[in-house]
Amino acid sequence: MIEIQDLTKIYRMGSVEVRALDGVTLDIAKGEFLGVMGASGSGKTTLLHMLGLLDIPTSGRIVIDGTDVGTLTDYEKTMFRLYKLGYVFQDFALVPDLTVMENVSLPAMLRKDRTEDQYREASIGILRKIGLLDRQDHLPRELSGGQQQRVSIARAMVNKPDILFADEPCANLDTENSRLVLDQFRGINEEMHQTIVMVSHEDWHKDYFHRIIRLRDGKVVSDGTNGYSIH
Amino acid sequence: MGKKELKVAFLLALRSLQRGSRSSVILTVLIIGMCFTNMIFLPSLFNGIEQSITKQLVDYEVGNVLVSPESGDQYVNNLGATLGLINGLPGVERATPHYTEGATFTYRKRILGVSVRAIMPDDEKYVSPLYTKMIAGDYLGNGDTGEIIIGKPVAGDPTIREEDEFQPSLGGVRVGDSVTVAYANGYTRNYRVKGIYSTGWSQADSAAYVSWTDMEQVIGEPLDHASDITVKAKPGYSETFIKNELIQYGVADKVQTTSDLLSKSLGTAFQSFAIINLVSLIVSIIITTVVLFIVITIKTLNSRRQIGILKAIGVDKEVIMHNYGFQVIILAILGIILGIVLTMLLAVYMAIHPVVTPAWSATLYLTPTDIAMNSLILFVAAVVAGYVPAYQVSREDIQTAMRA
Repeated sequence: MIEIQDLTKIYRMGSVEVRALDGVTLDIAKGEFLGVMGASGSGKTTLLHMLGLLDIPTSGRIVIDGTDVGTLTDYEKTMFRLYKLGYVFQDFALVPDLTVMENVSLPAMLRKDRTEDQYREASIGILRKIGLLDRQDHLPRELSGGQQQRVSIARAMVNKPDILFADEPCANLDTENSRLVLDQFRGINEEMHQTIVMVSHEDWHKDYFHRIIRLRDGKVVSDGTNGYSIH
Repeated sequence: MGKKELKVAFLLALRSLQRGSRSSVILTVLIIGMCFTNMIFLPSLFNGIEQSITKQLVDYEVGNVLVSPESGDQYVNNLGATLGLINGLPGVERATPHYTEGATFTYRKRILGVSVRAIMPDDEKYVSPLYTKMIAGDYLGNGDTGEIIIGKPVAGDPTIREEDEFQPSLGGVRVGDSVTVAYANGYTRNYRVKGIYSTGWSQADSAAYVSWTDMEQVIGEPLDHASDITVKAKPGYSETFIKNELIQYGVADKVQTTSDLLSKSLGTAFQSFAIINLVSLIVSIIITTVVLFIVITIKTLNSRRQIGILKAIGVDKEVIMHNYGFQVIILAILGIILGIVLTMLLAVYMAIHPVVTPAWSATLYLTPTDIAMNSLILFVAAVVAGYVPAYQVSREDIQTAMRA
């Protein structure tokens, strides 16, 4: 599904060079629920951004579903993100002026292969699944943090992406809401065989992952399954 | 950029304006509306003044074409034949002569110098709306003798003391009163005031009118010469056409259109108006452009992270740019509509309360073309001002935008 070869990202701040990723090589299988863990500054988010085509690596290669994403143009990357990838951000990142339904529908509206009826149906379906259909006309500020993050998951899932990326999705949530969100991810993974790559620094989250890689100083220091079998 | 992308950009724009800062929207619309009003008010007022002066000049002085004596001559001679020729030409509504004689008016203890204009009252009705401007008494008839109509400033106001008057008058003449008129040729006659008029055009209001028949008695012989002949064109015939026709058919006197006369007398003033209009227009456009540029720049800077997120979830930069573009378009349309409403209200107010000076009165002169042109100019300026920051921010890379 995803092949990462010798991925390196170097940030230059004046004369100082920061090696955020240092020769990361790994494969991620379809249907896997991968946890990327590590201390702050270990390179978790940088890795996620590289895989999600939000940033360009200094060197190395990422191949997703047979496509070397480094060769894509800016527009092709945008379309790749729209059609194949989904994102859940730490701070929910919903558009504050759009209702829950509009936020969820937004990526689906842009797909050329979806009619209005189809994207409405898809949005209603995913909102029903996360239990927020009754809140479809609410604005994000009218929802709790946990509800906002579930809407964010719905938005990420509405286009049925090949891979779902989540960047510390529980960082701004209490334990109860974190569990709700993680259960949601687990449900999506199990029911829809959704490939999920999630960054987390909370140790108790590891129970949800099939496989965990740990990063330190931009390098993979451990990579192991968590007792699950991949679908 | 397909229909779907434009639809999403429009949705984002609409929702941002509907659910974003209402005060910011109101303030921006207000500023654009004010700029539109500023753009159009001054030129419309100047146009109103120009139109007013031109109309009054046409109505009370020169008609569409003025036939006056060649230099060296005192009068347009051979009047009967000349009038016959002009009145027979295609496109001429009517040609009517004026004969002006200086005179001294005496009423009670007041003495006043006034120009007396002899007219053919019935023909004059085709050329001048003077007969509709009577505020007391009646207009002249063709055969009237010993009767005179005078302007309101000549008649004066009995309640105003002589030393307080803006311009000298006869101190309160009323219809039916008798005034003594001593002409420059030595002839003196008592006239009954048949009517008092007010045109708003100072030169006409400062004069008095008698019939052609009456003036023949003053001169003591049939009048076959005139100070000038005013020619009124039929609708659809241009002044230049009439002028060329008159020259072609052998009118030997000086033939000038209203435009010829205006360019000589008021050309410089009208040019100054045009310069002021242009400066006002440029300043308004600059203000609108800068304001919208600032508004959209602030909006985009405040939304950089959101723009980054939108790009991250697969929203193309063109959609993001058009989102802000549509916001500006909506704001500009609302502002222009407000500006049109404000301008119309001002136009109505000024129609009721025109700018009045002793020489002329003016209202706002607005044409649909003026409104359309100014709307278009402001709209284009607004769109350019909005799209520049929108273009810049939409090109920013996702990481930089998301870190903002």
